[in-house]
Amino acid sequence: MAARIMRNPDVLWREEDDARDEAQAALEQGDDVSEVGTSLLFANGQMVVLNLLGTEIWKRCDKKSVAELTAELLAEFDVEEAILREDVSGFLAELAEKGFIAYE
Amino acid sequence: MSEEVKVGGGAPAWIIKAPLTINWALNNSCNFKCKHCYSRVDGNDELDLESLCAAMAKVADMGVLAVNFGGGEPLLRSDLKEVAACAAQSGLQVSMNSNGYLIDRETAVALKTAGFAKIGISIDSHVSERHDSFRGVPGSHERACAALGHLADAGIRTSISTVICKINHMDVDDLISFARVHGAQQINFHNFKCSGLGMANRDELDLSPQEWRVFYRKALAAKENGAGIDISFDDPIIASLGLKGGAGSIVKGSVCGKLSLNIKSNGDITPCGFIPIVIGNIVRDDLAVIWRESQVLDRLRHKEPTGKCASCSSYDECLGGCSARALAVTGDFNNPDPHCWEE
Ligand code: SF4
Repeated sequence: MAARIMRNPDVLWREEDDARDEAQAALEQGDDVSEVGTSLLFANGQMVVLNLLGTEIWKRCDKKSVAELTAELLAEFDVEEAILREDVSGFLAELAEKGFIAYE
Repeated sequence: MSEEVKVGGGAPAWIIKAPLTINWALNNSCNFKCKHCYSRVDGNDELDLESLCAAMAKVADMGVLAVNFGGGEPLLRSDLKEVAACAAQSGLQVSMNSNGYLIDRETAVALKTAGFAKIGISIDSHVSERHDSFRGVPGSHERACAALGHLADAGIRTSISTVICKINHMDVDDLISFARVHGAQQINFHNFKCSGLGMANRDELDLSPQEWRVFYRKALAAKENGAGIDISFDDPIIASLGLKGGAGSIVKGSVCGKLSLNIKSNGDITPCGFIPIVIGNIVRDDLAVIWRESQVLDRLRHKEPTGKCASCSSYDECLGGCSARALAVTGDFNNPDPHCWEE
């Protein structure tokens, strides 16, 4: 069976409502919001800020395989599959490096 | 998709709406006599259960995610389980630091039921005699180790908290293996703060800047090599070592007042447990207003480099190191951290 992503239960995370609402409004206007932080993860003195897509990945990744996660995101978001795959794998690698997720 | 946020040291990417975590002293009484204690010198005022529950609901509503109970020894509060249950029901992740002396099998199960997700046990040496004499209570090491087992059996994640000082700074590898053997998920190396009794015993306990450098080099190397356990030490002065796991990945400067706050047993709010500047009271005041408008927090978030920090290439990461230590020793938290080894 494919390895499952496990979120580290010690990671604290929170969406920042104002920032998220602003990013969503900007997105609807067609702006690029990839640089806008809308949520944050924190553990062991390390903090990461996620944009809208990163936040969606974080919300959905727990206990899923990478393939399941990607399929779910593809069904929901209008993005090219190759680009999404690359984004997801880069993102997960960074979280794993910080100990925010592990694979089981 | 993600970026390191710059907290402090210039404009943060965005100001977060609330602290992520609050260190909350429930009491100051203790069954131990530790030489580095910062709370036994505090008074004995304690909020009652009702006030605490209301305060927990308030901070959870504001967006705080976690509370970590300390003191004193939290287990000396007879209503600790009720306090924890209130916090958990408000949606907060609940953890505490304890000396472990009072945690038997039954207590561990009760703590799990009350809602504790994680408990840190203070252990200052892998050598039991050394820990016992430092903590002032014979047999305390054995009971702390037993507590780790009981908590793990009850399904509570555990960590070991070690205050690094003269009695243990050479023992990085032994402390890590000890934590692994006792099933802890994490070991926290706390840097020695010169507050409370720590200040009075500073000469006897604190390391020299050069000793701190040697310690952090070893601890960072152990972390890099993947010691099989989570190793945590959030001391900003490691930025100047320029090693991975240090500079670049840790929130810039101290997290106090930027990501976390401290509440004392009487409800007074301070930026951290080691900065004795009261900026409000959780019962009387609106935490959101304090968080946004406190001038003390603003100054901590926008420190000014002074002395050797002004020309230091690590300042952007280090922000002058631990503000609490600088304040305790020099009277101004903008001054360079007294632990700093840079010339
Ligand atoms: S000189 Fe100041 S900024 Fe540089 S490492 Fe020391 S405390 Fe940090």
